Amino acid sequence: MSNSPRTAPAGASSGPRLDQATRLALFRSQLEIRLLEKRAYDLFLQNFVKGTSHLSLGQEAVAAGFAVAMRGDDYTFCTYRGHAHTLARGAPMVGVLGELMGRKCGLMEGKGGSMHLTSVRHGAMGSYAIVGAHLPVAAGAAWSAQVRGTDQVAVCFFGDGATNIGAFHEALNFAVVWKLPVVFVCENNQYMEYTPIRSVTAVEHPAADRASAYGLDRLVVDGNDADAVYAAAAAAIGKARSGEGPSLIEAMTYRYSGHSRADPAKYRPAGELEEWMKRDPIALYRARLLELGLPEGALREMEGAVQRAVDEATEAAKASPPATVDVIDRDVWADGGSSWRN
Amino acid sequence: MDVVMPQLGETVKEGTVTVWRKKVGERVEANEPLFEVSTDKVETEIPAPVSGVVSAILVAEGSTVQVGVALAVIEEEGKPLARAAPASGPPNPVAATPEARRPPRPATAPAHEGGPPLSPVVRRLLAEHEVDASAIAGSGAGGRITRDDVLAYVEGRKGSLSPQAVERVPLNRIRKRTAEQMALSWRTIPHVLQAVEVDFQSVDRARLARAESWKAEEGWALTYLPFVAFAVCQALSDFPAVNASFDGDALVLHRRINLGIAVDLGGEGLIVPVVKDAAGKSLPDLARDIYSVSEKARAGRLAPDDVTQATYTLSNSGSFGTLLTAPIINPPQVAILSTDAVTNKPVADGNGLAIHPVGVLAQSFDHRAFDGAYSAAFLRKVKQTLEGRDWAADLTRGP
Amino acid sequence: MAELTYRDAVAAGIAQEMERDERVIFLGEDIAAAGGVFKATVGLLERFGPKRVRDTPISEQAIIGAAMGAAMTGLRPIAEIMFSDFLAVCWDMVANEIAKARYMSAGQMTLPLVIRTANGAGARFGAQHSQSVENWAMSVPGLKVVAPSNPADVKGLLAAAIRDPDPVIFFEHKALYATKGQVPDGEHVDRLGTAKVLRDGADVTVLALAAMVPRALEAAERLQREDGISATVVDLRSLVPLDTKTILAETVKTGRLYTVEENPRLCGWGAEIASIAAEECFYDLDGPIVRITTPHVPLPAADALEDATIPSVQRIVETIRRTAG
Repeated sequence: MSNSPRTAPAGASSGPRLDQATRLALFRSQLEIRLLEKRAYDLFLQNFVKGTSHLSLGQEAVAAGFAVAMRGDDYTFCTYRGHAHTLARGAPMVGVLGELMGRKCGLMEGKGGSMHLTSVRHGAMGSYAIVGAHLPVAAGAAWSAQVRGTDQVAVCFFGDGATNIGAFHEALNFAVVWKLPVVFVCENNQYMEYTPIRSVTAVEHPAADRASAYGLDRLVVDGNDADAVYAAAAAAIGKARSGEGPSLIEAMTYRYSGHSRADPAKYRPAGELEEWMKRDPIALYRARLLELGLPEGALREMEGAVQRAVDEATEAAKASPPATVDVIDRDVWADGGSSWRN
Repeated sequence: MDVVMPQLGETVKEGTVTVWRKKVGERVEANEPLFEVSTDKVETEIPAPVSGVVSAILVAEGSTVQVGVALAVIEEEGKPLARAAPASGPPNPVAATPEARRPPRPATAPAHEGGPPLSPVVRRLLAEHEVDASAIAGSGAGGRITRDDVLAYVEGRKGSLSPQAVERVPLNRIRKRTAEQMALSWRTIPHVLQAVEVDFQSVDRARLARAESWKAEEGWALTYLPFVAFAVCQALSDFPAVNASFDGDALVLHRRINLGIAVDLGGEGLIVPVVKDAAGKSLPDLARDIYSVSEKARAGRLAPDDVTQATYTLSNSGSFGTLLTAPIINPPQVAILSTDAVTNKPVADGNGLAIHPVGVLAQSFDHRAFDGAYSAAFLRKVKQTLEGRDWAADLTRGP
Repeated sequence: MAELTYRDAVAAGIAQEMERDERVIFLGEDIAAAGGVFKATVGLLERFGPKRVRDTPISEQAIIGAAMGAAMTGLRPIAEIMFSDFLAVCWDMVANEIAKARYMSAGQMTLPLVIRTANGAGARFGAQHSQSVENWAMSVPGLKVVAPSNPADVKGLLAAAIRDPDPVIFFEHKALYATKGQVPDGEHVDRLGTAKVLRDGADVTVLALAAMVPRALEAAERLQREDGISATVVDLRSLVPLDTKTILAETVKTGRLYTVEENPRLCGWGAEIASIAAEECFYDLDGPIVRITTPHVPLPAADALEDATIPSVQRIVETIRRTAG
């Protein structure tokens, strides 16, 4: 396992040679995430979405880049900032919005909420609200594929903050020692909740600079360039799929909104948001597509279609009745019930 | 109808009533401003939902209450005021937890006063089998009545399981009534027994002298009972608390002395006919009245009035040959006297030994009404009368 | 029937199920090459190979997390946590993740996994290696909790746990590993959620679990001989699901209920059962419900101290003798 840094060049404008279908898929996925997350934000302000929400505005390229590179039977594990990943794997928009609004049509009928979006049939094996908890679980899903002899891969997304929790270190060591087909992806959006990640981490790159401790390559990628993300994803997934073991990728990105709804993010230095918005992943990708010769009209059409899809999903979710109390004592156990006594 | 705190925003859970525009008793029209609410510093005027009179204001100005809580009541014309329980926020839709399987509450006997407490199963079994705790001896720690004690008692009552070994004898009406009365008396009245030994020598001198002529005139024998009754009436005049009823927080002293005479109906039960105004009567009249009511009782010819208003009871066990009886008080009376057998006994008469007729008079009294000293003094008076009165003079006062 | 030790019954139960179902896999610290620190899993690596029987680093969160990931993707993993005290190290995985995944996903996920662990005191290991923590698991919705007292139940209940589609925490008792008992030959599968009446008596009902079961039985013998008190003894075997039918029926039969619990006093499993009995058969109780428990202290290490802290046969006898009247 080489220690030489293999960092994908930041800001490459064309990246690897991808076919048009893949590019359009990458663009569409980012659009869907962007427009749905914006809608989720509005719905929260209108009090349709209760509780809290952790939005991925600005981080769309990471989710899209990996999802497009994954196979349908691969597994995704993500954090409570998981709307993007769940959507990117193909979960229906009405299910995501419905879950946020606590409606019957929600992916989990209102039982899980924003922080636990799950769609097993799409390979979205849960969004996890305890920081770092899902890294070992992802390793376990990879172990399962290894035992069963399928060449499925598990991809596990987490934030920069998670690199300092115990489960991160346990999972990485474990995955390397057992050579598990899992890709660990750190979405470094520079902030661990309200605190700049650098002020609480012993190394500069919270994930990439720990890779060598586990015998892994140091991999940093521009998280706002969907092509670069896709390339890194494809490489790591391919490595895992061929039995060569896990990877740890650090994707540099930025979140536009606060940590959660409650956070106006006043801890950010003035101008930082604006700087990052100049490198908005969708604006970037749109410009690249035009550069590559895609007609403006086609892009507009896609944007319109996605907006319509988001609008339809919104109306459908609003029309769905609130979750009903009959589900409260269901599905603790596999038999569908919750009884602990006779 | 109830006026409740409205929900003025999706996440608003409470509001503060700042101003009432109407007072209790004032009329209000539907949609007329009734009160003002402040939520997060936003003031909102709330109109009355219906027309009517404000019959109650439940929440003062300045109070903060949850959404849904009743704030006031408007009585609408022609509509009866069904005072429903105030709504307390959105109804909790989750049904009562299916886990609670509390069985319906069975009837239980009251907790035992005095002595170790009765366990839940014992109380339930006592009530189910209509057994009084006082009927059972406890074999548990400290004399506690255990479940098995009750079950054994109930089983014992039933007798053996084989049908040939038992015969079920239903109680007649009088016995049933007596049983109820006895149990009630025993359960509710704190009985104390006091006894005196009485030398009937004086009584006998007069009684025996008159016995033959009395029998010939009246047709029945002159017994000790009328003498005891007479002495009791004298004593009751001096000790009015013994001729009283206990009434919770007062003792009701009766001016009349109505003597109840307990009559044994030969196995059919007990009945207590009453000789009214016994105090003023001469000894012969008293004797005749006692005989008369007793005969009526034995013949079953008592009128309802004959068994009411007794203020004191005499229970004559003399013919049974017993030494001492602890009788049960007839509520609402506060005492009862038992006269037992009078037999010849050696007594010390100042000069040495003599043989005199001696009998025990035992009074059960209600300790709520008076104390031992009072009762003892009463009994002393009865004794003194019996032992010291010139009975011959009473008997020669003609018919 | 054959006589097996409690520890051999563990290996036998796992082997029976691994033989029957290739989806059953097993991971833990020192469980494969070494056959387990308590020698409860000897021979499994040799029989089933390194793919299905695997040693892990000292990483409780990774072990349990991996079991969860494998369970949600079609396998039936058994994970060992060496000492039940260490459940505290990975309690997030157990209580927040495994227990709740099915519910939060509205039934999309099923987690047919077993966490087996060595529970309980008596081995003089000190406070952090001697706890009984089955009551911790009982209090989290979504976990089944089993604690066998004898080799036959070890094998049968472990098989049932492995076949169960839900997460089961299987509490073996380290002080019982050397005990012996008759185990049925051939395939032996018991049922979770069923208590067993081991001794029938008329005066008092005594509920016990795991290592407290033999103590309750011995106490019952002494009470009969020395005091003429006749005790029913019930081995609970499972806390979740709880066999409340048997518990309440045996309580009503005698009217007097006792529990013997190795948990420290507060919130031991007996507190919940006492509450259920007080609520549901109040009018059949002939006296207060009495719990005989370890006092609410961490466990001392010295042998004399440990023996005086955990409920002893003597303490069980004296308590019942004093209160059964």
